[in-house]
Amino acid sequence: MSSAHTSSGSSAYDTSGLPLASAAGRLGTDVPAPGRGTNGSSLTNEQLRERLLTRFPDLRADEYRGELTVFVEPGQLLEVATYCRDDEEIACELLSDLSAVHWPAGDHVIERQISTTGWPEYRTSREHGVVEVNYLLRSVRRNHRFRVSVGTPDDAARIPSVTSLWPTANFHEREVFDMFGVEFPGHPNLVRILMPDDWLGHPQRKDYPLGGVEINYENDKFIPPPHERNLREVVE
Amino acid sequence: MSIDQHSTEPASAEVPATGTSADDPNELFVEGADWETVVDAIEDDTLTVNMGPQHPSTHGVLRLVLELDGETVLRVSPIIGYLHTGIEKNAEYRTWVQGSTFVTRMDYVAPLFNEWVYCMGVERLLDVQVPERAQAVRVILSEFNRISSHLVWVATGGMELGATTVMTNGFGAREHILDLFESQSGLRMNHAYYRPGGLAQDVTDDFVERCESLLRYLPGKIGELEDLLTHNPIFVDRTQGIGVLTGEEALAFGVTGPMLRAAGVPHDLRKAQPHSGYEQYDFAVPTETAGDSYARYLVRIAEMRESMKIIRQALDTLPGGEVMVSDKKIRWPSQQALGPDGSGNDPEYIRHIMGESMESLINHFKLVTQGFTVPAGQVYIATESPRGELGCALTSNGTNKPYRLHLRDSSFVGLQAMDHMSRGHSISDVIVVVASLDPVMGGCDR
Repeated sequence: MSSAHTSSGSSAYDTSGLPLASAAGRLGTDVPAPGRGTNGSSLTNEQLRERLLTRFPDLRADEYRGELTVFVEPGQLLEVATYCRDDEEIACELLSDLSAVHWPAGDHVIERQISTTGWPEYRTSREHGVVEVNYLLRSVRRNHRFRVSVGTPDDAARIPSVTSLWPTANFHEREVFDMFGVEFPGHPNLVRILMPDDWLGHPQRKDYPLGGVEINYENDKFIPPPHERNLREVVE
Repeated sequence: MSIDQHSTEPASAEVPATGTSADDPNELFVEGADWETVVDAIEDDTLTVNMGPQHPSTHGVLRLVLELDGETVLRVSPIIGYLHTGIEKNAEYRTWVQGSTFVTRMDYVAPLFNEWVYCMGVERLLDVQVPERAQAVRVILSEFNRISSHLVWVATGGMELGATTVMTNGFGAREHILDLFESQSGLRMNHAYYRPGGLAQDVTDDFVERCESLLRYLPGKIGELEDLLTHNPIFVDRTQGIGVLTGEEALAFGVTGPMLRAAGVPHDLRKAQPHSGYEQYDFAVPTETAGDSYARYLVRIAEMRESMKIIRQALDTLPGGEVMVSDKKIRWPSQQALGPDGSGNDPEYIRHIMGESMESLINHFKLVTQGFTVPAGQVYIATESPRGELGCALTSNGTNKPYRLHLRDSSFVGLQAMDHMSRGHSISDVIVVVASLDPVMGGCDR
């Protein structure tokens, strides 16, 4: 079969131009079986934390149930992520997962079925709404995993895209953009992925109701083909 | 593939329509029609074709936008999001136990793995240890599920290449595995058999016997499939060298599981980060080096045999005892077991709550309707599903429901590599590439 065909030009569907993670190039041909300790043993959470905090002293790290979480500001994310990928010890070739959690501002009643079930009512209260985006970084060679957590205000959620580091992030960031309204500057094609392109609102935000939602198409009569849509406008 | 292999002259607007070409006056040139514009059009334009959503390999809910030059694929864009199950959002409004019934519907070809990873997430948040018997039963049933999932993959993959015998044989063998699931959980899929803390109920008395007979039956059926495909010239020609993904590229795209192992990376979460007692079983991680669709076939066939090895060991060492944690704040007090009449109530327990202890009845009622609360925090736990890493990111805020549930499904991640794997291949190879990816769209949408 012929080798991979390259083509120029762009379209609304364009996924080209994604660089392959350069970290993967260092993987070499003989990758040792992970967990067998042939190519350096895995780092413990303590060692990971120490190494990260030596390089970035202002980071905050936390451990819960044996999982390490590193809290990073959006502005610092690319630097930290690049370090985690390229450092010889940390060496995270794989972006395991990218997902988000929404913590809205104000009083938030978690139970909405009190009248029918008698379930206990839980309330949370926050001054500022936050969307937390979690990056699960995994090293196949070293066999460790940790979480990088980035918080961003939910009314102006912007986090730089990591698609240039891990192409995996492409779909993930589109999903978080679609479901939580987080913008990822630098993403090659940041359009909705699960909902229709002109859907209004972000369904997995906590203030988005469950059920009883009107059909929220902005253009309910005619949906133009993707290359004719003004996606930025729809997003606002 | 390009038309200029056949035309002697480059089509150009400057060519005078005099009957001879400008470069070579002796060469005759076709007159009287707009051939130049036709040739221009063919040379310059690419064709965009929407494949699916109705194609069987895409299970009705995946649209592939192909950009074609003749039959050669220039670009593939997978368009997902047709299922709208909303499971992740819905689960935020259900108790932790009910979450198990939701997630099992995500990847409906390997439902037990979804339940497993979800339950392990809740158990890690609760910080409880599942009884050994429950762990062993989970391993046995899940490995059977891995075989049934791979059988579906071989069956549908073969069908897409025109091998309908492979399809009927594969699905036929899978039926027997589903019979086993039905006998234990009551359902052939969407089991909700794994619950946070253990299993919904203990296995039946004939469980080991049923597994044994399956272990006797399956090798022959897998051998049949191998006889049909492994050296079949059509199958080999259609799959070898198609959709190549090297180990580096696979990791860059986040592709794990059999596709990564077919590219020579022996990465398996059952070995790398063992859970549920996988460390005590002896099994190999099959790998291939080619990284093409044929290598993925070989890896999956070999994996089925390894799964049977694990099941054999787990059956031989199946421990007795409870299948649910003993914590009375988590387990339902009734010792539920499937009675001869098909009901799940234990007569002893009914006597107890009706005649002896009102508090026990209240406790059961509250546990069933309100569920238990889970300490606040967030965890991520992953297992090796038939499609690769299946991760569960759970966030709890200390209530009786998940604050946020997210599953990292390999179908969703793997579809991004479609474009890279298909470029330069012919349009018919796209089918093979999709098939070798083994996507299940339920897991893709969630």
